[in-house]
Amino acid sequence: MRPALWGESLKLAASLVGRVATVAVVVGIVVLSSAMLVAARSGNTQVVAKLGPDGTPDWHGFLAAATQITAAGGLAGFAIVLAWMFGREFADGAVNGLFALPVSRRTIAAAKLLTFAAWGALVSAALPVVLGATGVALGLGTPGATELAGLARLTVLGLAGLVLATPVAWAATLGRSVLAGVGVGIGLIVVAQVSVLAGAGGWMPLAAPALWAMTAGRGATLGQVLLVLPFGAIWVVLTLGAWRRLQVR
Amino acid sequence: MSAGLVASGVRRMFPAGGGVESADLAMRPGEIVALVGLNGAGKTTLMRLLLGMLRAESGRVELDGVPLERLPGSTWAAVGHLVDAPLVYPELTTRTALELNARLRGAGRGVVEAALQDFGLTEYAGRRIRALSLGNRQRVGLAAALQHRPQVIVLDEPTNGLDPAGVIALREQLLARRDDGAAVLVSSHHLDEVARTADRIVVLNAGRLIGELAPHSAGLESMFFEMLLRDDEVRA
Repeated sequence: MRPALWGESLKLAASLVGRVATVAVVVGIVVLSSAMLVAARSGNTQVVAKLGPDGTPDWHGFLAAATQITAAGGLAGFAIVLAWMFGREFADGAVNGLFALPVSRRTIAAAKLLTFAAWGALVSAALPVVLGATGVALGLGTPGATELAGLARLTVLGLAGLVLATPVAWAATLGRSVLAGVGVGIGLIVVAQVSVLAGAGGWMPLAAPALWAMTAGRGATLGQVLLVLPFGAIWVVLTLGAWRRLQVR
Repeated sequence: MSAGLVASGVRRMFPAGGGVESADLAMRPGEIVALVGLNGAGKTTLMRLLLGMLRAESGRVELDGVPLERLPGSTWAAVGHLVDAPLVYPELTTRTALELNARLRGAGRGVVEAALQDFGLTEYAGRRIRALSLGNRQRVGLAAALQHRPQVIVLDEPTNGLDPAGVIALREQLLARRDDGAAVLVSSHHLDEVARTADRIVVLNAGRLIGELAPHSAGLESMFFEMLLRDDEVRA
């Protein structure tokens, strides 16, 4: 496992995809949330009306915007990285080189998932830190217990997004392309949004983390959020099995 | 001593056409076998079957007497291969790409410097793969396949993209590995190059091994085409 983990982490750290996704998820969410805050502060009644009841020029509005953006944008960023990690070798033919090695393809796939999880956890941990510092810098004052809890929920939302993106690994493997994974990633975001609108609520694993984070736990329970774990486990097992049975066509 | 890689009656045909209809092939230690055939004859498919990249519909492949499906993973450390594209990533440097290949094959990073020298890559060691020419990428792929001193070597069209110096470097490496007891299988379109290195030349036509040619015989090219013609006539 160690050679595969070393290789996967090296590739992700050296790649443009990994660097861009890291900046896009952390800095992108902070910049967009800050833009919402500036808009709320503008006093323009039309803009404030568009932002809705959560569009207040304070920590509440700032974190509400960040949570909404993270729910969709974070999942999109994770899906793109995972699609690239699992689809790239099919695109450039390097998949041939992953056969006839002492390290099995199942182990290589597991190393990809572990590397992705470690990267995503770092991103999820960095996001509230950068966001909190930005809020202070923008003059929102020192965050209190409520704000710190909101920032912590962002980390949980990011971690849940990591798990929710796992079908992308399976799709990129079966579709043998990065685009197949990205397509499924977009599908996951659409299904999550539609299921919230359709009232599926907390029992829909794709929607529960966002509902929980945006309503401070009133829209979904932590138990419902934890349903993402068996959801992700299914796709991890399917992905590892697909890599074990893999053939070159 | 390795018993080599042996295929017995392997078959894998594709719905869209092509593949390997039936093949018996033995790669023995201390021998270079050249696999020649026209485009689409099934050379790459046969190599993929030998390396477990494809599962055979029938027949079997054994490495050191053990069927591939029961082979302990560690046994693959004795195999080096380059089929289709090398296991190199554009964002890595040449040295890092070789180190990754060495680690994945259970070898230490100590083999990398020798491989850089053997394939004339020392000056490109710190350069990213994406910045290398096609020929130098092929050199990296060959170095990655051979640096861990495998006892079984499978190379598909290894001279693709190589300049004359690269072809000579590869030839020297293959002959040295053969003399060290490695079993080598090389596919090629270049009969003159094959004649310089191979101990045996096996001919594949439309998915079947149809015979052998003596590497040093005069008129190798015409003998090759006569063999194909006879086989096509028999099939018709």
